[in-house]
Amino acid sequence: MDLINPSVVDLSRFQFALTALYHFMFVPLTLGLTFMLAAMETVYVVTGKQIYKDMVLFWGKLFGINFALGVATGLTMEFEFGTNWSMYSRFFGDMFGTPLAIEGLMAFFMESTFVGIMFFGWDRLSRPAHLAVTYLVALGSNLSALWILVANASMNVPDGAHFDPETMRMTFDSFIRVVFNPDAQAKFVHTSVAGYVTASLLVMGISAFYLLRHEHRQFAARSFRMAAIFGIISTVAVITLGDVLGRMDYEHQPTKIAAMEGLWHTSKPPYEPWIVAALPDDAKQESYFEIGVPYVLTPLVTHSFSTPITGMHELEEQAGPRIESGITAVAALKRYSETHMAEDLAIFQAHEKDMGYGFLATRHAPNQDVSAITDEELHNVVEQTKPDILPNVFVTFWSFRLMVFLSLYFFVIFAVAAYLSLKKQLERFPLFLKLCMWSIPLPVLATEFGWITAEAGRQPWTVFERLPTFMSASTHGVGYMLFSLGGFTLLYSIFIAAELYLMFKFARLGPESHGEHDPENGTPSLSVIAH
Amino acid sequence: MTTLLRIAGLGLALVVALLFAVFVGDQGPWYFAWVVGTVMIVLISGAGAILFDAQTDNTQEGEV
Repeated sequence: MDLINPSVVDLSRFQFALTALYHFMFVPLTLGLTFMLAAMETVYVVTGKQIYKDMVLFWGKLFGINFALGVATGLTMEFEFGTNWSMYSRFFGDMFGTPLAIEGLMAFFMESTFVGIMFFGWDRLSRPAHLAVTYLVALGSNLSALWILVANASMNVPDGAHFDPETMRMTFDSFIRVVFNPDAQAKFVHTSVAGYVTASLLVMGISAFYLLRHEHRQFAARSFRMAAIFGIISTVAVITLGDVLGRMDYEHQPTKIAAMEGLWHTSKPPYEPWIVAALPDDAKQESYFEIGVPYVLTPLVTHSFSTPITGMHELEEQAGPRIESGITAVAALKRYSETHMAEDLAIFQAHEKDMGYGFLATRHAPNQDVSAITDEELHNVVEQTKPDILPNVFVTFWSFRLMVFLSLYFFVIFAVAAYLSLKKQLERFPLFLKLCMWSIPLPVLATEFGWITAEAGRQPWTVFERLPTFMSASTHGVGYMLFSLGGFTLLYSIFIAAELYLMFKFARLGPESHGEHDPENGTPSLSVIAH
Repeated sequence: MTTLLRIAGLGLALVVALLFAVFVGDQGPWYFAWVVGTVMIVLISGAGAILFDAQTDNTQEGEV
């Protein structure tokens, strides 16, 4: 069996990471801004005050720019699964393809249709009907995210499918189990609410910019108030769901949680410190310069004071028997595919749960064929495979920490913002307003770090404990991968530049008044319930 | 008759919503939490804006 060129696998990973991270610069803002628009329009419909319609129109314009570029960058990713990850798509396509297809339908039919009506329907629909459309845009964009996260969760916790030795693919068992996968649920809410935080800080930051310049003050103060309240509740939710996800990783992906916490050895409850900062060394399998807070890790991860968390050294040792069992499974599967003997099938089925570990051992087997491993070679192959079960600890540890630190920062900044706004003292603190303005990019960084934690932490698997990443890519040449990587980098950088140019341009221009209110001095009410 | 039909329709919608809540609350508690939480976030942030208007009407101060 020939393995895929490791350079091609690395380039495929790099290309996917790059396109996903570019795409994910746009997505959280779309997820959050739609519900912020819905909140602003709700106030407009209830109070009839023109200023709230102006808010929907202005922030809607920024949403429109972001939405268009988000769709453009997302399109390529759908195809990338087929072009660059064809082995993965073949193995896992039944599971992954269904939610991915529904996501496409949600994005292109529901979300995009209602976006058009939302932008062009102001004069054609009654106010309540337009409000309903805005809510449907918000629901559509978040449901698009739901399906892609259902697909992603099935890679982390592959529930609702089984491996079929006849077709050599994972086959769907239960759509309900896939959709209600607990990992999908928590991941969706965590990601969606992280989008709310991103949108809140964008609205708050741009409003702070106007307040600092004493422009559009009434508009900016109302936007700031809504964003601060939206943001503080969302930040509490995002931290809560982060805790839930950590707990799920502890139950389902012990290597990921151990890497996230930089835990080389099994923890000693209840003293075990939560490591605030350290320099993990993947090669030597130890961390330097650890700074920790004692008694925090055990309750944080396990929600108890007595349950230990298995460390990476112990996880490696525990993987030994599974690698041996996996080698037996893969060897039996190979024989079964050639002879269809019931005996081989029975052996495979007895070791099926460890099949992925057998695939993982392929790299160290003679001629990359695990069925050729002799009894004398087995011990060496197992020992060589053991370290492969761990993700890159440095990357997982630090991306997780940066995400956590940023989320705690958001909690503080939103709490102060909500307090000052409720006290109507914002303009007394120009430094704080500047801080809000300069914090606009931080939630985007936090969500990117979140993705890196989730994806890097799942390694070495594309499908956890089923399919290793090095067996998942397509068999392209290095030249093709470099060419397409360069093309994507250039194209997506142009998209980012276009987004930044348009966002800055329209943010500097500020809101337009549509005649029925004085943006500086308040807003006469038009009616109690419009229409 | 129209009123009766409207009440029946709303009653049916209520029953469907309750059944949905029971099913999703049981099978997908975090999905249910998202629905309830998002509605809550939207409404509380809207209430914040209305409170701002009330504060402005009452105080007539220049500060925001």
